[in-house]
Parts: sequence; C-alpha cells; structure tokens
Amino acid sequence: MKLTTREDKGIVILEPKGKIMGGPDATLLHDKLHEFISQGKKKVVIDLAKVDWMNSTGLGILISGLTTMRNNGGELKLANVTEKIQSLLTITKLITVFETFESVDQAVGSFN
Amino acid sequence: MTKVIRRKNQIIIPSSQLYLAKVDDFVEGKLRKLKLDKNQLADLAISVTEAVNNAIVHGNKKDPEKKVTLRLICDKSCICIEVEDEGKGFDLNSLPCPITEENLLKEVGRGIFIVRSLMDKVDFIFKPEGGTIVRLTKYLKNKE
Repeated sequence: MKLTTREDKGIVILEPKGKIMGGPDATLLHDKLHEFISQGKKKVVIDLAKVDWMNSTGLGILISGLTTMRNNGGELKLANVTEKIQSLLTITKLITVFETFESVDQAVGSFN
Repeated sequence: MTKVIRRKNQIIIPSSQLYLAKVDDFVEGKLRKLKLDKNQLADLAISVTEAVNNAIVHGNKKDPEKKVTLRLICDKSCICIEVEDEGKGFDLNSLPCPITEENLLKEVGRGIFIVRSLMDKVDFIFKPEGGTIVRLTKYLKNKE
C-alpha cells in the first residue's frame, strides 16, 4: 500500500493505494491518522478510490481513526468507497457507523 | 525459521506479518492463471490474508521458531486453500459476534466472520498433536 496526503479547505485527505492487509502497510496508515490527531487536525477524509481491497485489519484501522477523531471532537469520513469495500462494510454492519460519500468534494463539503 | 520456502502449490513463511504481502503475491499469482473474476479473486485474497494473519498472531503467537504453511488445491469445481499453524488451537464457540452493538466499534475480531461471509465453506481442523488447519473453499462458477 502507498499513502499520499493533502489538504483541502483545512480538511486532511488521505489517499491510500493498493491493498490494506496488515503488517507495515497498515501501521503506516494508522500512524499517519494519529499523527494528524496529535497536530490538532481532526477533520479527515479517506479517499478509497485506489484501494483494491482491505481485510479486517484495514477495517480496524478505519475504526481506530474514527473513534479517535470523534473522541477529540473531530470526524473521519470515507469517499469513493469501492464495491468490494462497500460489501465488507455492509457484511460487518460498519456501514451504519461511517459516513460515506461518492466523491472527495462531497465529503469535504459535508464538514461545512 | 527466517526464510520463505516456495514450492509449486505451497508457501511456508516465518510467523511475522512482514510476510503477508509475499503470501498474497504467491496466491494471487497462482489464482490469476485460473482466470477468476475480480470479485472471486478479491474474496480469496482477503480470506487468505485473514487466515494467515490469524495463524501468525493467534496461532503461533508471532513465535519466530514457528512457521505458517499455505497449500493451494484446485480442480475444475473449486479452489481450496489450507493455512496451517503450529499453535494450540482455539474454541470456535468462544468467538464474540462482531456485529452486535457492543462489539461494533472494536478494532479487532472480524477476521473469521469475514472469511465465513466470503467463502463458500470454511473448515477448522484441530490436530491432536497440535496445530490448526483452516481450509477455505470457494466453488467455481460455471462460465457458460
């Protein structure tokens, strides 16, 4: 997995690419999320457009990010959720927990 | 054990998550030759990483002396993948349900639930001498 980050209107946008399956890749995403929290950046969008798939480790990282953001008065939203990840979110009922958007722009706009 | 051992339809890795990507590459490389559809390939790849991760973390407790063995068995009707660890096994009935309200926000505990959702059949074989085999089966769709 590769990870790039950018900011738009004060919102942090994370763009992972590849597969999120555990091991060092997963640690990278987890650490990046927590790095932003420590910097006081609490509005985050994860753009999943280029994520082929993720397993339960990936879902765990998303939950960790979400709960940490919410506990600090922030929010983590998902954009461009692929069919495979949507299916996993549905199976695990996490679709009821995350706010998902069809595009990054929509996700960013929803913070206002 | 520090080396990865690859055979025709088998890969053996040390008990470290550093090797998860190597297992995924091995399995996807083999499965691509079967011309599965994208969804089937993803379901198998996700399930394999779940089973191997469980074998490393929960089965072998990341003991570097213990190995995880993956075997791939394919025929015209199904794909069967076995993941074997050297651990003491576990009680299948003691696994908490990850979709209940109290467990929904837990960061771990979804692996086997996801595997059972994605695979057509999942068998757990607890060997009397020690070690657990998780057998993942996906039946192939008729391509007519």
